[in-house]
Amino acid sequence: MASPDQIAAQILSSKSLSVSPVWLNAFLSSASAQRNVPPSALAKTAIFRLLASNITESLSKHRSCILPVDAYDPMVQERRLQGAIPVQVLDIEDIGTSLWSQIEAIERVERGEAIRGREIVRTIAVDEDPEATETNGANSGPVAAANASGNSGSGPHRLILQDAEGTVVAGVEMQRVDGISVEKLAIGAKLLLRDPTVARGMVLLNPGSVTVLGGKIEAMDTPWRQGRKARLLEKTAGLEGE
Amino acid sequence: MARKILCVAEKPAIARAVATHLSGGSFQTHSIRGNQYVKNYEFNFNFGGAWGDCAVTVTSVVGHLTGLDFDRQYKGWQSCPPGSLFEAPVQEAVDKVRKCLWLFRSSADVCNKDKLPIAENIRNQAKYAKALFIWTDCDREGEHIGSEVRNQAKAGNGRIEVKRARFSNTERAHVRQAALAPIDLDEYQANAVAARIELDLRIGAAFTRLQTLQLQTVVAALKEKVISYGSCQFPTLGFVVDRYLRVKNFKPENFWGLKVIVNREGKKVNFLWKRVHLFDRAVVTMMLERCLVAKQAKVTKVDQKPKSKWRPLPLTTVDLQMMGSRFLRIDSQTIMKVAETLYTKGYISYPRTETDQFDKAIDLKKLVEKQYPDSSWGQYARELIDGKFKTPRWGRNNDKAHPPIHPVSWVSPTSLNVNEKKVYEFVVRRFLACCSDDAKGQSSEVEIKYGDEYFHANGLIVLERNYLDVYVYDKWESSQQLPNFERDELFEPTEANLFEGKTTAPNYLTEPELIGLMDANGIGTDATMAEHIAKIKEREYVAVNTRGSGRSSVSELIPTRLGVALVEGYDNVVSGLPNSVSLSKPFLRKEMELRMLEICSGTKTRQEVVQQSLDMYREVFIHTQRRINMLKTACRKYLVEAPES
Repeated sequence: MASPDQIAAQILSSKSLSVSPVWLNAFLSSASAQRNVPPSALAKTAIFRLLASNITESLSKHRSCILPVDAYDPMVQERRLQGAIPVQVLDIEDIGTSLWSQIEAIERVERGEAIRGREIVRTIAVDEDPEATETNGANSGPVAAANASGNSGSGPHRLILQDAEGTVVAGVEMQRVDGISVEKLAIGAKLLLRDPTVARGMVLLNPGSVTVLGGKIEAMDTPWRQGRKARLLEKTAGLEGE
Repeated sequence: MARKILCVAEKPAIARAVATHLSGGSFQTHSIRGNQYVKNYEFNFNFGGAWGDCAVTVTSVVGHLTGLDFDRQYKGWQSCPPGSLFEAPVQEAVDKVRKCLWLFRSSADVCNKDKLPIAENIRNQAKYAKALFIWTDCDREGEHIGSEVRNQAKAGNGRIEVKRARFSNTERAHVRQAALAPIDLDEYQANAVAARIELDLRIGAAFTRLQTLQLQTVVAALKEKVISYGSCQFPTLGFVVDRYLRVKNFKPENFWGLKVIVNREGKKVNFLWKRVHLFDRAVVTMMLERCLVAKQAKVTKVDQKPKSKWRPLPLTTVDLQMMGSRFLRIDSQTIMKVAETLYTKGYISYPRTETDQFDKAIDLKKLVEKQYPDSSWGQYARELIDGKFKTPRWGRNNDKAHPPIHPVSWVSPTSLNVNEKKVYEFVVRRFLACCSDDAKGQSSEVEIKYGDEYFHANGLIVLERNYLDVYVYDKWESSQQLPNFERDELFEPTEANLFEGKTTAPNYLTEPELIGLMDANGIGTDATMAEHIAKIKEREYVAVNTRGSGRSSVSELIPTRLGVALVEGYDNVVSGLPNSVSLSKPFLRKEMELRMLEICSGTKTRQEVVQQSLDMYREVFIHTQRRINMLKTACRKYLVEAPES
């Protein structure tokens, strides 16, 4: 039987995540029925659970692995943080693409269409009312948006990130980072920031400063995706009022 | 008495051209009873080989000879439930005085006539003939008309031998060559057209009756109106409405970008941001600050490379229509009519073609030489022959029937009307451009990294204009020359600024764009697209609006309220039904067109294709009948409640 310390060490060495002892004990006691599971497999299961968990409950809040509480402060021109800081994604937007073209892309997916050059291609059965502008589209029908056929933009992306302590900060994709896209990156996915630079309250993300660990918090991701079109529409409506 | 050969062309003008070229200009002309346009031309001609010297009669039809219609008891609008038209018996008969319902030829104006005397003329002439040579245009439609001619000739003379002349222009040598080497009629192609005619009739009539009878009762404005449906018209309308709604629903948004200015060697160089612009002001501001803090920019790339602008591909029908409506400002239907006239007169090759490859056997230089007499481009043609000639680019399409559209002989501009002159000039310039070298130039690019951001500046020098000299429709010009930059050089940019802008709505659809969409989505053939566009205008589903003025004016297609109502109605009919697609979408028609191709290649029979396609549309028909209220509601919404527009 593996000791909690052994498991914690394995998680730290493979993912650079310091797990909270409380969470780990709870995990181990729930998993203790499987006595014969080797420690490496147990560690893998723990990592899988961790990636699906809320890190404010599952990770250590030691000062070496959290953001400064004023990380979001726009008055600070630039500062360099030290170490590896795990965060989870609360929101992601494509700031290289207009809201309106993102809405149009979502509607194409809803209609089961994709665009290939000038050609309109049928992707799935039509199951949505294309005149969604009238019904304002709030949670209308099954969301097929997970389908990668929406011809979405290529970013850069602006993320909202949260550390284990609950501190929230924005992140900006300064250089293309694999795995960061509206379709691929789930809400609740974990990122590991490595000695990141924070400028005007925004963490600068590039392949050297961030590792995408993946995962998702199902309870947050599903409603986020269902409500995405409605939120985009709301934002464009807000613009008009200006 | 020598043997007699009967030649039948698709229209009177072609018959006359064939007679003129084969006879060398001396022939006898006989009128036929009952039709003032069709003539019989008689002369002798030596066909060589087994045929030898023969007496010849050249005559013509006027487009399609027969039409398909429902039996008498189904003709009345109230005679049967519209849905029964999917199975009701149909008859093919020689057209009497009736509207040309399935008209795809621009001989529209003379088609509105009794075809019985023409058919009778063919039967009579066939009685004394050994063989029938069919001279209809060489495409699918022509193959079908040829089969109609054959049926009449066989009715007059069961033993007549049937051949078909293969030709793609009416130039003398080409016509004589075609007469000497006849081939067989392509039954597959004729069958594909027969299938399309039956499908268009059944589907068109069923939906037209259903929607007309139902919608007439809802809206007073539609009381006297026939609301026609066509399986090409509706997707065509769908494209127009789709764009219209995109324009109408559009919301402008602010964006922000960065630009860097460098003064060097007395020049002011604008560097453009690699990200172009972003939709988040705070992020862009932060990025600008990081540029300014960095102070120095570094040159990351200095590139000088030869650049060429490719000469155009050989001309296809779709390209002629798209380019024509863009550069010549003539709508696509008119362009096709004009091109047809030019073809009939023997100035250009057959204008319906998908081919953008010139067969190696065509003597292109000889065709170039024919343009010597022209005062505008004659000199250019001479220079081509004197050494600048290049073999045209090889496109990706070949319909195996016709070469790309090209001039076959020179004609003085004074003998052409305004539109003919424009279209002829375009065809010639395009052809000469195809036979020219690409334009050559030198491009330079400098890329810099400033802060975390990349910026670039580009320059271009055009060194050799080549094809651009004759193809006045393309523009490619030298830009400002960049000052000297060294790779890895560090320097301080003169200025870096944040700029603000707003997204703008797309424009309403133009005709060239619509043709492009139809082509990409398999709606209609190159020969029929222009007709479908004309049809939705004529039906008042779409109106043409002119934006701007003078040379920069653009004609835009905007749907009428009825047009929007129909599309919204049909979209709502299938909304929520899995696996059903709206009639406003191109998918059903595209599938049908693909099946036509299968008939042409012999992998499917006419019967199979008709059944499969009818099944497909019948399903939508049943949905439409059940949910007819969706259509009615849409019409009420746009036509009765008269919304603020």
